Amino acid sequence: MSYVQRRRFLWVLFLIGMALVAIVAKGTTLARLQFYQLVQHSSAIARVRCVRVDTRLENGEIWTDTVFQVVQHDKGFLPQEIVVRMPGGKFQHLHSHVDGVPEFHPNEEVYLFLTGHPGRQFYIVGWTQGTFRIRKDLRSGMETVTQDSADMPVFDPQMNQFTKTGLKNLPIDRFLEKLNKEIYRQSL
Amino acid sequence: MRDTVRKLAATGMALLYGLWSVVAAHGYSFNQIVPDVRQPASVSGGSACPIPSHQLVAPGSIAVQWSTVLGANPQTIRTSDQTPTGSLNEIEGVIQQSLGVWTGVAGTSLTTSSLGPLTRVSTANICGSDGLNSICFDQPDMAFTPGVLAFTRVITADAIGIQVGTTVSTEVGQILDADIYFNQSDSTVTFATPAALSANPKSYDLESILTHELGHFLGFSHSGVWSAMMFPFAPAPGTFTGVRPTVLQPDAPLADDDRTGLRTLYSDPNDTLYVGSIQGRILPANLLSLPTAPPGVTGIFGAHVVAVDVSTGNVIAGTLGGWSCKAPGPVQFDGSYLLDHLPVGHSYSVYAEPLNGAVSPSDVTNALVTLCRNASTDTGWPPAQGCVVPSVNQEFTTRTRPSL
Repeated sequence: MSYVQRRRFLWVLFLIGMALVAIVAKGTTLARLQFYQLVQHSSAIARVRCVRVDTRLENGEIWTDTVFQVVQHDKGFLPQEIVVRMPGGKFQHLHSHVDGVPEFHPNEEVYLFLTGHPGRQFYIVGWTQGTFRIRKDLRSGMETVTQDSADMPVFDPQMNQFTKTGLKNLPIDRFLEKLNKEIYRQSL
Repeated sequence: MRDTVRKLAATGMALLYGLWSVVAAHGYSFNQIVPDVRQPASVSGGSACPIPSHQLVAPGSIAVQWSTVLGANPQTIRTSDQTPTGSLNEIEGVIQQSLGVWTGVAGTSLTTSSLGPLTRVSTANICGSDGLNSICFDQPDMAFTPGVLAFTRVITADAIGIQVGTTVSTEVGQILDADIYFNQSDSTVTFATPAALSANPKSYDLESILTHELGHFLGFSHSGVWSAMMFPFAPAPGTFTGVRPTVLQPDAPLADDDRTGLRTLYSDPNDTLYVGSIQGRILPANLLSLPTAPPGVTGIFGAHVVAVDVSTGNVIAGTLGGWSCKAPGPVQFDGSYLLDHLPVGHSYSVYAEPLNGAVSPSDVTNALVTLCRNASTDTGWPPAQGCVVPSVNQEFTTRTRPSL
């Protein structure tokens, strides 16, 4: 392929890529929530540790109840232990799939943006959007926070690469600063 | 030109290039279910290999009912025709059109004849585990929180002979009940039919959301390809610029990624056009970088692998790679990926990218964490057919090794 041919070919690729980028994503389950909206819609925001995961059948539907120990709450008041309910799960021979539902494992620590009332099950605002996983660097001990919905890699044909959105690998002190600033702003 | 394109594909942009072959399908981003091998082979199939959730496609087997009870305060669904009958007809037209998007894909066994009657039910709250596929626009559900516009509950069984309502499974992985719920609890969220969308700029596009949910209804998980119908985020109200189905091209709203996935999920044995496959493995340069637990991981797990048509630049398919399975199972985490049912006669570049971020990417949970069952998850599970899904490998870069 000559230089001219290659250049023409790359231009064609570029223009096709531009056309594709102009086509906005059509499918949905979730409406993208800004950080301030997550805070606004949450009755409680807390750092929690997953204790156990149960599946139950209630009113004919399968639900997954995750029991969390509250490590620290930043908004609202929570008991020491809370139950967060999400749709779907496995019950006997039946598997109920609901896409976009976050899943938790015992001992995992996360920040959750919750809606609900103490004494009853809580629900996560925006599902993956209100779920922020905490990762600890074993060498430095530094903790970072990543929003679940930020995981989704988006292929950008214009750049021929993946891009990501949402909060990713944010040092925990910066996350808390951002969170507390927003809570304070909304309390005014 | 074709030769030069092929050369470019082989030498240029690809980070990783696979081999052509025609093999059985697995992979993509489907909801998976591992058969219950504790049951006799006659009802479980005897293999612990995951099976994608799927509808039966025999003529008339996919029946759908929808509740004509619509939200009133505010009205959840906005239509152009304001008369009671006209409004319902308009909504039903959207449902039919959205179903037609999926049955309009060439090269699949899912066709319009697979659809049963679309029936109206005048009572509320018809969505539930009753063995009937339902669409509900005004049914409250505790699962709705702000930011969740719609979701689909899909119930499958891990053995033959399991009953949900009036439906009994005749295949493992058969979808026994799929219900689509639209959020009616958020007074700020409304949906508009295509005819009413321009007059309701604050409404979400009903047709594209329903088409996406019908993808789940058919067994799809989410896609990481931006242009795909199964990408999990909606454009904000007033920003919909997607393509509408037409008589000539009913599947126009879909991306090639969706079409390829559908051909894999509902393959047509008579198809001769979409029979290409690219398969390969994503292996670490240093084996010590692989996780030590669970044991037996020999390749990168959870990579997002994408095939791009070199001549058009279009993304043709994307899959979540990292595993393979051969009866009697279990899944081997050997870095394998398979992009199946690709159009033949084209050249492709294949890219692999990590799902960077958290431990378990939640948007594709059902396509990854459901690959294994074991004695911890299911009492009495045979150890030889048990496995543990490793953490998604999120820290790698890729290089081309065409000979692998």
